[in-house]
Amino acid sequence: MDPEITIRCTNLSKNFRVSEKQAGLAGSLSSFFKRTYRSVPAIQSFSFEAQKGEIVGLLGPNGAGKTTLMKMLTGIIVPSSGTAQVLGFSPSERKRAFRRQISLVMGQKSQLWWDIPALDSFHLLGKYYEVEHSQLHHRIQELADLLDVHGLLNTHIRKLSLGERMKMELMASLLHNPRVLFLDEPTIGLDLVAQRNIREFLKFYQEQHQTTILLTSHYMGDVQALAERIVLVLDGEKRFDDSIEHFESFFGGEKYVQLELEAAVDTEDPLWKRYDTVWVENGVRADLRIPTHRFHHALREIFERFPVQNFTTEKLPIERVLTSLLENPRLLEQRGESSLR
Amino acid sequence: MIFPSSLSRLLSYELKKWMATISLSITQRLAYKVNFFLLFLGPMLVFFLVQYNLWHSLFLFREGAPIGGYTRDEMIAYQGWVLVTALLTQGFHSRDLAQDIRLGRISSYLIYPFDFWQYHLGTFLGLQCIQLCIATTAVAALFFTGVFQELSATHLFLGVSVALCAGLLWYLIQYALGLFAFWIEQTWTLRVLFALIASFCSGAIFPLELLPEWAREIVLLSPFPYLTYVPVKTFLGAELDLPLPAPVALTFWSIVVWGCGKLLWNRGMRMYTAAGM
Repeated sequence: MDPEITIRCTNLSKNFRVSEKQAGLAGSLSSFFKRTYRSVPAIQSFSFEAQKGEIVGLLGPNGAGKTTLMKMLTGIIVPSSGTAQVLGFSPSERKRAFRRQISLVMGQKSQLWWDIPALDSFHLLGKYYEVEHSQLHHRIQELADLLDVHGLLNTHIRKLSLGERMKMELMASLLHNPRVLFLDEPTIGLDLVAQRNIREFLKFYQEQHQTTILLTSHYMGDVQALAERIVLVLDGEKRFDDSIEHFESFFGGEKYVQLELEAAVDTEDPLWKRYDTVWVENGVRADLRIPTHRFHHALREIFERFPVQNFTTEKLPIERVLTSLLENPRLLEQRGESSLR
Repeated sequence: MIFPSSLSRLLSYELKKWMATISLSITQRLAYKVNFFLLFLGPMLVFFLVQYNLWHSLFLFREGAPIGGYTRDEMIAYQGWVLVTALLTQGFHSRDLAQDIRLGRISSYLIYPFDFWQYHLGTFLGLQCIQLCIATTAVAALFFTGVFQELSATHLFLGVSVALCAGLLWYLIQYALGLFAFWIEQTWTLRVLFALIASFCSGAIFPLELLPEWAREIVLLSPFPYLTYVPVKTFLGAELDLPLPAPVALTFWSIVVWGCGKLLWNRGMRMYTAAGM
């Protein structure tokens, strides 16, 4: 395997066996005696490569298969078919040499021990990852400086706020200086300031250490701030794989306009439908997507017919691109192979 | 080939991992002070309120006549050693382990370069250190209250050794039971069933001499007597007529249960979905 390629998976698939039960007492009784199962494909023929030091954002709606992919790449679950290689190891073999070089942060699940202070957890993890005592001490100081958590190191994890705990989770995951970092919703539930702090920290850390990062997040701010490349997963399949710039300009021939109106207008007017309008405040504030070639014409028509108080125009935000693609996946088919690496 | 220096470095790292896990387990139990003191006081209170009173009343009812060859004082001493043995053998429960599997919490341990079974075994060893302290306190308390009328250092040493080996067997059984969480949502029914059978067949409720001869012979072929009856009899310094010497039987049953646990783990991991992550 090319040393520059850190992650490679070829035709990776995972099917889950799910039991089915009809509703009600009769359903319960029938399933008690005869349970029926069906196979649900979570990931289908997924091929993908990530280079050393690359930050890849995995996007997709809930249940698309992003976390399943993470689980397979970290060796937590075994693929149904296909191959995965991370740092030259097959993750499902869970060799110690492999586990020593990766890390996983799960925003929805604490990996630290609740009943003890963070510092105790770090010392334990230092032993597990065979980090020399002096080196571990140095790493703890360095990371605590960066995350500004010196005062919290001796506090029990259960007594920390969500944001503080996430910082500790990140610290724990980086103590052994992993070569690959898997981040599953690392800023979930955090306030805006905490989200920004964690993003800045990750960006700085990655630049310093050239860690390969695979990130899933429903907060587009995370993806925009960190990822260089985006992989869109829909129904277990890879549907887009290219740079974030290409993703942002997916609707390249369009402009994004935010309108503010003096008074509520008729939101059912056919004009709004033409420009994929999303009403932020019913009848008063709207976001529109206008084709560039119709831009002047459309704006003139809007200004003539509606009491516009204010308007701004900018490049389509990544969040809006994603929403539009999720609502209308056919747009991806129209782009075809050109959106896949 | 591993050179001696690399080997010693490797062993030193491994030892540090185990020691750190044992230390974590102790720290976790000391984190909740009230729970910790209840661990000390609970078993003693149960003994004096239930076991002592029950057998005392039974002997009063029988006007002091022996039961199954045991006099009142011998039976109370037997029950006292059952308490000490239980402290040394049955402290670990698979409840947390099963919950970890069911709620997908084992994912973290699958990523750390210290295996899931190693972590749990380390936790168990840490727990045993605490249980050893509690058992020592219990022996002292039962001696000073006259439940144990004499203490022999040899019997005490042999009894603790057998009880600690029985503790390992108990742990392995609990570990295997916990692994059933890969297949069934609630493992508590299995645990309750096992606890009921174990308390009846291990000699924890009454000495096995009280069973009919045929039943006693069958029970002695199972691992249950080695969990309570055999350690208690060793503490008492009694002669034992067993199909296999206690260390051999305990080793045999531990290997069998460990093998079952390994099989369950390998099969369970193939269908583990890390739900909730």
